[in-house]
Amino acid sequence: MSTLKVTDLHVSVTDEEEKTEREILKGVDLTINTGETHAIMGPNGTGKSTLSETIMGNPNYIVTQGDVTIDGESILGKPVDERARLGLFLAMQYPAEIKGITNAEFMRAAINSRRADDDQISIRSFLKELDKNIKTLNMTEEMTERYLNEGFSGGEKKRNEILQLMMIKPKFAILDEIDSGLDIDALQVVAQGVNEMASPDFGTLMITHYQRLLNYIHPDQVHVMMDGRIVKTGDASLAEELEEKGYAGLRDELGIDANLVDDDVDQTADATGNGDD
Amino acid sequence: MPKSAVLALDPVLLSAAKFDDEPQWLTDLRQSSWDKAKELALPEFAKINYRHWPLLEFAQDGQTNTNIPDDIQAETESYNFVSVGKTTVKSAIPDDLVKQGVVFCDLQTAAKKHAELLSKYLFTKAIKPDEDRLTAVNASLMDSGVFLYVPHDVSIKEPISLLQVQDSRQKTNFVNHNVIVTDDNSSVQVLQRTETIGDAENPASVAVEVISGPGSHIKFSSLDSLSEKTNAYFNRRGHLEKDSEIDWTMGVLNDGNTIADFDSDLKGTGSHAEVQTVAISTGKQTQGIDTSVTNYGKHSEGNILQRGVLLEKSALVFNGVGKIIHGAHGSKAQQENRILMLSPEARGDANPILLIDENDVIAGHAASVGRVDQKQLYYLMSRGLTKEVAQRLVILGFLGVVLTEIPIAAVRNQMIAMIERKLINGQRTE
Ligand SMILES: Nc1ncnc2c1ncn2[C@@H]1O[C@H](COP(=O)(O)OP(=O)(O)O)[C@@H](O)[C@H]1O
Ligand SMILES: [Mg+2]
Repeated sequence: MSTLKVTDLHVSVTDEEEKTEREILKGVDLTINTGETHAIMGPNGTGKSTLSETIMGNPNYIVTQGDVTIDGESILGKPVDERARLGLFLAMQYPAEIKGITNAEFMRAAINSRRADDDQISIRSFLKELDKNIKTLNMTEEMTERYLNEGFSGGEKKRNEILQLMMIKPKFAILDEIDSGLDIDALQVVAQGVNEMASPDFGTLMITHYQRLLNYIHPDQVHVMMDGRIVKTGDASLAEELEEKGYAGLRDELGIDANLVDDDVDQTADATGNGDD
Repeated sequence: MPKSAVLALDPVLLSAAKFDDEPQWLTDLRQSSWDKAKELALPEFAKINYRHWPLLEFAQDGQTNTNIPDDIQAETESYNFVSVGKTTVKSAIPDDLVKQGVVFCDLQTAAKKHAELLSKYLFTKAIKPDEDRLTAVNASLMDSGVFLYVPHDVSIKEPISLLQVQDSRQKTNFVNHNVIVTDDNSSVQVLQRTETIGDAENPASVAVEVISGPGSHIKFSSLDSLSEKTNAYFNRRGHLEKDSEIDWTMGVLNDGNTIADFDSDLKGTGSHAEVQTVAISTGKQTQGIDTSVTNYGKHSEGNILQRGVLLEKSALVFNGVGKIIHGAHGSKAQQENRILMLSPEARGDANPILLIDENDVIAGHAASVGRVDQKQLYYLMSRGLTKEVAQRLVILGFLGVVLTEIPIAAVRNQMIAMIERKLINGQRTE
């Protein structure tokens, strides 16, 4: 078993224009073991992506206090590629598009970066694995020969993130709003991919705005994040409670002083119609 | 007329360059070019200042070393022509081509055995000896090179490949001149590979005249990797007659200072040139690449596509010159010059220069100088790729538009391998 542990994490970002630092995460604690599925829910702008990117090692996020460890060893001093090779994976909310590199070529390079020079994956076993996974995700072979995310629709990008997840097989995956931009059919397909990964050696941290995703990928623990902190943790029923009360309701119940953007104030958790797939 | 301080043209050079038993017409060509060289100006290339380079500092007593290293010897099998300095190591084409009248030999042999044919094309159509000092010096001092002539209606399927090695195991001059001619409705693919052995400091002057007769088609690829100690001048010039086409793909991967003048003169109606170059500068080198296409003929078409990458403290200038001469109705000229810089200390410049003297044309250009996108690097690295591998992928992706266009798969793979090697060496010192 491996453990990913976040302790009293404070993170700031620099405002490019005003040259000021702003604290986004204000003391986050979180422990995820392999074999577990966690969900973080929270209103927009509360710091969910900041948490994911900081764990992954995005240099734009400055840790001012606290620690992130894997099996007791701090990873904060390690660059993003080293963290990836230690077993971290982040399915990004906004994946980059890169011309001239095919999807397949990239995934093979990613797999090989974890292997010794004399133990690189054979083209045959790579293609076999790729074939299996694109079937699960209802993708076409043609998509793997296209340039990395280039001209992909929002939904295609999400599938492609999950395809990479399935090919790379990390220890811990953070899925940042993997449900946004997906219609129900696509969401089911993507969830199926994630569920296939389930194993005692794999832990998931799902980040979502909506409860809907949790109908397809069942969490062991649900954390609610507001204003840069985890304000409540519970089991799957917490998501349902949130669906009833909305973020505003929970905020008032907990007596937290957090600003919510309008759509979170009237949110009904069963949001639909943002799919473009 | 501006003269360069670097000019040191001793008459000894002229006699040393002469081939054994050289015919008089060639000696005369050398002499008349020599006489003009001193008065001719160095060519001007926008934003490329090379005047202080020792491009004309030739070795007075340039020696010939006829010993051929084993690794070159081992490579001869993959080429039709191999030379080291002035020494021709191999020159062979299949018998059936000889039977069809294809001429293929070194310049020295051609001057004697195919004097009439060679003299019709050598410094007459594509490059003129009195254009500027650098062409004049090449004409006076040429000491190696190839003549390829493809008769009318002959199509050569297998590429003709040349390996021309600059011998810098000692002070030796390398003034190379090649002439490629396709007569009416013929076609051929040519690969020219240039490299250096040894680490003496020498200048290099490499010229290629490509003359495509009516309705003929030439695919010309080159891969240059001269050494860090070489100051190089390249001149590759196409002269295109009616309805002919030249597709150029050039990898400028030298380690030393380079000035490259790549021109296509679209003389004939309906002639067509595609010019694609890839250049990588590393270390402290400067490479200036001046690629021009001139539309003379009606309905002629010329497209330039250039991609360059800079590492360390290097410099790279891409000039894309599109000239449309008055009367070239219905002609087309497009160009795209893009440069990617990996280091804050590198200096890149991409200049489209359009000189259009005709209304009935379609012309366009795009240019950019940029840095590697940090978001892209982060994304690739977040999947476990090291920074170096991620950078190389982004670069190969950037160069991809040119690389995928290379018609011969073997050349494409060789080019990619050479690019990777140059990038790895450049990254090592970053
Ligand atoms: N790279 C960044 N630079 C500047 N501000 C940022 C950056 N990333 C996030 N922020 C700010 O941090 C806050 C939290 O954003 P984010 O973590 O994306 O929230 P969430 O994912 O919960 O919607 C927002 O106010 C956002 O504008
Ligand atoms: Mg977010």
